[in-house]
Amino acid sequence: MITLEIEKCSGCSRCEVNCTFFHSGRIGRSAARIKVVKIEALGIDYPVVCQQCRERYCTRCPENAIEIGALGQVIVSPTLCTACGTCETMCPIGAIELFEEIPRVCDLCGGDPRCVKACTLDAIHYEADAGDKVSLKVFKKDSRNLAPEEKRHRYALASAKELRDQWVVERRG
Amino acid sequence: MLHGYGGHILRVDLTTGHTRREKTDPSFMLDVIGGRGLNSTRLYNELPRDVDPLSPDNMLLIGVGPLTGSLLSASAYMTISGKSPMTGILGDSAAGGFMGPEIKQAGYDQIVMTGCCEKPCYLFIADDHVEIRDASHLWGLDIWQTTAAIRKQLNDNAVQIAAIGPAGENLVKYATVACNNSRMFGRSGMGCLFGSKQLKAVAVRGRGTVNLADPPGFLALCRQMDQRIMAHPEYAQRNALGSTLLMKALNGIGILPTNHFQKGLCSYVDRISGETLADQYKVKNKACFNCNVHCSRYYISAEVEGEGPEFETLCSYTSRIGNDDLGFALKMTSFLNRMGMDSLSSGETIGWAMECVQRGLLNKEDFDGLDFSWGNCRTIENLLGMIAHRQGIGDAFAEGTRSLAARYGKGTDEYAFHVKGLDMICGDPRGIKAFGLTYAIASRGADHLRAEPFFELTERYDEAEKRWGIREIADRLADRGKAVLVEHTERQALLTDCLTMCKNIGLSMDILDFDFASRLLIAGTGLKFSPEKVTEALNGVIERDRRINIDFGVTADQDTLPRRFTQEPLEAGASKGQVVPVERMVKEYYQLKGWDGKGVPRD
Repeated sequence: MITLEIEKCSGCSRCEVNCTFFHSGRIGRSAARIKVVKIEALGIDYPVVCQQCRERYCTRCPENAIEIGALGQVIVSPTLCTACGTCETMCPIGAIELFEEIPRVCDLCGGDPRCVKACTLDAIHYEADAGDKVSLKVFKKDSRNLAPEEKRHRYALASAKELRDQWVVERRG
Repeated sequence: MLHGYGGHILRVDLTTGHTRREKTDPSFMLDVIGGRGLNSTRLYNELPRDVDPLSPDNMLLIGVGPLTGSLLSASAYMTISGKSPMTGILGDSAAGGFMGPEIKQAGYDQIVMTGCCEKPCYLFIADDHVEIRDASHLWGLDIWQTTAAIRKQLNDNAVQIAAIGPAGENLVKYATVACNNSRMFGRSGMGCLFGSKQLKAVAVRGRGTVNLADPPGFLALCRQMDQRIMAHPEYAQRNALGSTLLMKALNGIGILPTNHFQKGLCSYVDRISGETLADQYKVKNKACFNCNVHCSRYYISAEVEGEGPEFETLCSYTSRIGNDDLGFALKMTSFLNRMGMDSLSSGETIGWAMECVQRGLLNKEDFDGLDFSWGNCRTIENLLGMIAHRQGIGDAFAEGTRSLAARYGKGTDEYAFHVKGLDMICGDPRGIKAFGLTYAIASRGADHLRAEPFFELTERYDEAEKRWGIREIADRLADRGKAVLVEHTERQALLTDCLTMCKNIGLSMDILDFDFASRLLIAGTGLKFSPEKVTEALNGVIERDRRINIDFGVTADQDTLPRRFTQEPLEAGASKGQVVPVERMVKEYYQLKGWDGKGVPRD
């Protein structure tokens, strides 16, 4: 799975750019499977990407189009998927989102994630295991009616809180 | 199909509310590339020369380039242009952040705004949906509040916003526009231009993607460039300190503006340096879109927090005005960012007042009782609030140093350090001669970025010999050959503004040359951007900029520097005894451009 050392992240979004380019040969954030949330007023930059969560909310697909691969990655079947958006709605952190009628979600680039390579601050890592370590239960509550961007924002804010508190203590005592 | 480009030019008439999307014309783009070149050519072609900068007829342009928002490192920039309310000549300002790439993803290369809204408004663009929205509820809010309020209203944290603060609303002549809260379009008063049109902000959400002509080729070129950046000898220091490294660096060569350029050495530089800022206040690196240098910083102080400051702001609010309190400088940075006021121009008005008081030309009574002794924090803080809201003497200060000195008279114009109405940047030209020439000839007034001839600071003598056959080009104190350098880097600077890309990387780190840019442009756009075509386009833009400025009234005698820099040698430090022989250098520059003795391009 993809892990973060969030204190190193500058928010440059090289992970996003390289993700889009590797998967589509194009430029544009919408096609990225990792998306950086930026909260300027708090100094928070947070790349949100599939956590391969224990709950696997996205697999509750009505068409059974989603399965879990050997690396723990989410695999969407292009033939079964009807772009109904259930997976997008189900994911509590906005890590899966439809663009051009295709659910975009981290596929770990087959075990060689481009976002990890693109990060020159060493803030993104790849741990080769089958996932299921992280629970997103706490973020599931009240997430159903939120747009993916709002879910990412909420998740980033909560996940960066500890770091932010640490900064304030460090600089303000 | 167009590659690299967003594909559309958006025209907005703020008076009628009419909007129109035009297709981007590739043959036109071949002549202007994009970004600043596109903007200033549009002004050259369409702007009535005698237009009052604050009238509805002035144009307000936002331009991005063919590689903006791409895999190219730091392809983050966009340029805002118009006739400057500050100077009355060509005005433009560029900044990075994330707004430029968003405009590209929304499918645009340029936004052309004319007219004036009846009441406060903001422009909202979501791909092909364009809407002028009411901003009455935002009027009076600062930039950070405005950004937060629009995002909340649109229920979308990812919308990118370029906004003005109270200074722009109150038509402070050097009001700024900011995106991502702290990315400042600082120079030449583009925020004032927003304010004059009652335009509080432009908000953009782009959900599209852009195709490249040769994706694998483009990727290979970008990887090559990435390697050059990461292997650069200055990488570690630039990554740690960004432009604030210049505090100690410039002091080391005796050109750190201190007490309004009376000295180039600051005795307390260690208390206000980039190193101290990093040590005491920085919590992490920040970056513009797709940058691998990450030169920006997030700081938290006892009273404020935010991104920055950059060198020009740091120096403007410390040594330049005699302030040794770094925490106070951060507080002012935050205030300027929120209010939307340029640190350089506001800082110059303060430095001017302090020197005039020191010399006994003016006193407390002239300034509503404010005590302008060096580094008086109380005065500085009070004054900035008065400028932003045009209260008391703040009203005169809001006009900029040139007008301010004209208003106060008594010979105070001697100490108003500007060129063509735009205030001097920080970096005493007496010890960096090519920069001196740049300030004198720059199309928007006293500005380093128009050419950023950083090469003269490198002491790369053999490389200078190889490239130009003049070794002295690598010697900052020599004036010989500097016109050659400036003529070259002026084009390079424009190239970065056209692509778009960050000048710190493209130019100061000497990463981008014309051949490489040509290959990037061809791989990105598929258009016939040969090195010769790129050079021709850049030369065309520079000539048009000169011609439009001549139409606006610029004459050869304005291509100069304030008297201090040409007549008064620096008294101490590593640039002791130096002045800028500006007249000779400007003449040489005209000759290289093929302009006549009056700086007019020949037909």
